Amino acid sequence: MSWAAHQFEVYAVEAHLPKKMVGQVSWFAIFFGDFTPDFLAKFWVYGFNFHGKHYGASKPYQWHRGWPGMGISHTLFFGILCCLGIWAWKHNRAWTIGFLLGFSAHVLTDVNDSIGTMLLFPFSTLNWSLHTWAYAATVKGGKYLDAASYYSSLGFAMDFFWFIVVLGSWRVLTRDFWRTKVVPADPHVWSWLGQWLDERGLVALYRSVFFYGVCRMIAWTTWAHIVARPVIDGVRHQGYPWDLSWTGPWWVQHVSLPHVTPLIVLPAALFLLGCVYFVANTIWDRMESGSIRAIAWRNVRRNTG
Amino acid sequence: MSEPTRPTPPSPESEPSNRSAKKAWVPSKWVDVVLYITAGVTYIGFSIWNKWLLDWIVGPAWLVAWVWGVPALYNLIRRRPVRPRRNPIEAEAST
Repeated sequence: MSWAAHQFEVYAVEAHLPKKMVGQVSWFAIFFGDFTPDFLAKFWVYGFNFHGKHYGASKPYQWHRGWPGMGISHTLFFGILCCLGIWAWKHNRAWTIGFLLGFSAHVLTDVNDSIGTMLLFPFSTLNWSLHTWAYAATVKGGKYLDAASYYSSLGFAMDFFWFIVVLGSWRVLTRDFWRTKVVPADPHVWSWLGQWLDERGLVALYRSVFFYGVCRMIAWTTWAHIVARPVIDGVRHQGYPWDLSWTGPWWVQHVSLPHVTPLIVLPAALFLLGCVYFVANTIWDRMESGSIRAIAWRNVRRNTG
Repeated sequence: MSEPTRPTPPSPESEPSNRSAKKAWVPSKWVDVVLYITAGVTYIGFSIWNKWLLDWIVGPAWLVAWVWGVPALYNLIRRRPVRPRRNPIEAEAST
C-alpha cells in the first residue's frame, strides 16, 4: 500500500487536469475518490483490540486486496460503479469525473506493493503487482510494522516522488489557484464552509491534505529510523534498517496473492490511466447537458415547492 | 475646462478610531508562513511520540486549527470579531 503518496496524488491530479476541465472538477471529489478505497477496506486490515482480543482480518492482505475480500474496493470496476451512483444521484459532472480521477489514481498507485490490485476485476481476480516494495500489514505487526516497512523501502521513494510532482506544480497550493480554480468548481461546499472559516481557514483546509502527507512522511520516517528500537532476528537495532532494493525490506515476510507476471503491469497500468483520462475527456462534454438539465429541474422544484 | 475629479475612497487612517479598533486582526503573509511552519513542527513533534495523532482526521484538523485557530483566538482575546463577515450589510450591522 502507499501512504503519503495518496495525499499528494490529490494535488497532482488537480494540477494535471485536462485543459477543458481546469477549474471545473471538484477538488473534494478527487479527495474522496482517492480516499474511498482505503476508507472501505483499511479499518479491518489493522483491526483493533478489545478486552484482550483482536478483532480484524485474519489475513490482512487477502481482505485488503483479494477476492473474496474487500479487494473489490481497489478495482476500477468499483470506482466506475461509484461514479455511476454519483451521476444517477446528483447529475454533477464535477463530482463524477473528480471521483473517477481520484479513485483511479489510488487503484493504479497501489499496484506497486507486493499484493497489488485486481485491475481487471470482474473479468479476472488475478492481482496486478509490480512488487516494488513488500506489503507489510500483518495481524501481529499492525500499523507500526507496516509503517516502518514502508518507510524503509522503495515506498519512501514513492512518497518522495509524488511529493516532488506536487512541488513541481507548486502553483496548485497557492491561494490564487484555490480562488480561481478550486472554489469555482465547488462554490456551494466552500460557501457552506465559509460560514465558520474565513479565507485563511478555507485555504488551510484546502492545503491540509498536503500538509498531512508531508508530516506523516517525515514523522513515520523519523520514528522508524531514529526513535524505534526493533528486534529483528534476535538482534536489537537502532531504528529499522533501510532496504531500497526491489521488494524490500528484507526483514519483512513477503506475502503475495495469485498474480499476473510483473512485466506487463507497468504498461497495463499506464494504458489504463490513459483510458481513464480518455474516457473522462470524452464524456465530459456529453455530461454537460445532463448537469444543466438536473440544475433546471432542481430550480423548478424549488420554485414550485 | 478641467475634468471633474473622482472622489477618492477614505484612507484607513481617516476612519473613526473606534471602528478600526474593532477590526479583526489579519495576519500578514509572513505571519501565515510562520503559522504553517509551526503547525508542521508541532504536529510532527507530537506525533512521533504519540503515533495515534498520525491520522487522516487529526492531521488536516491540526493545520486548520493552528492556522485559522491561533489568529481567531488572538482576535477573541482582543474582543474582535472571529466569524467571517458574509457581506458589507452584515459587517456594517455588527460594528
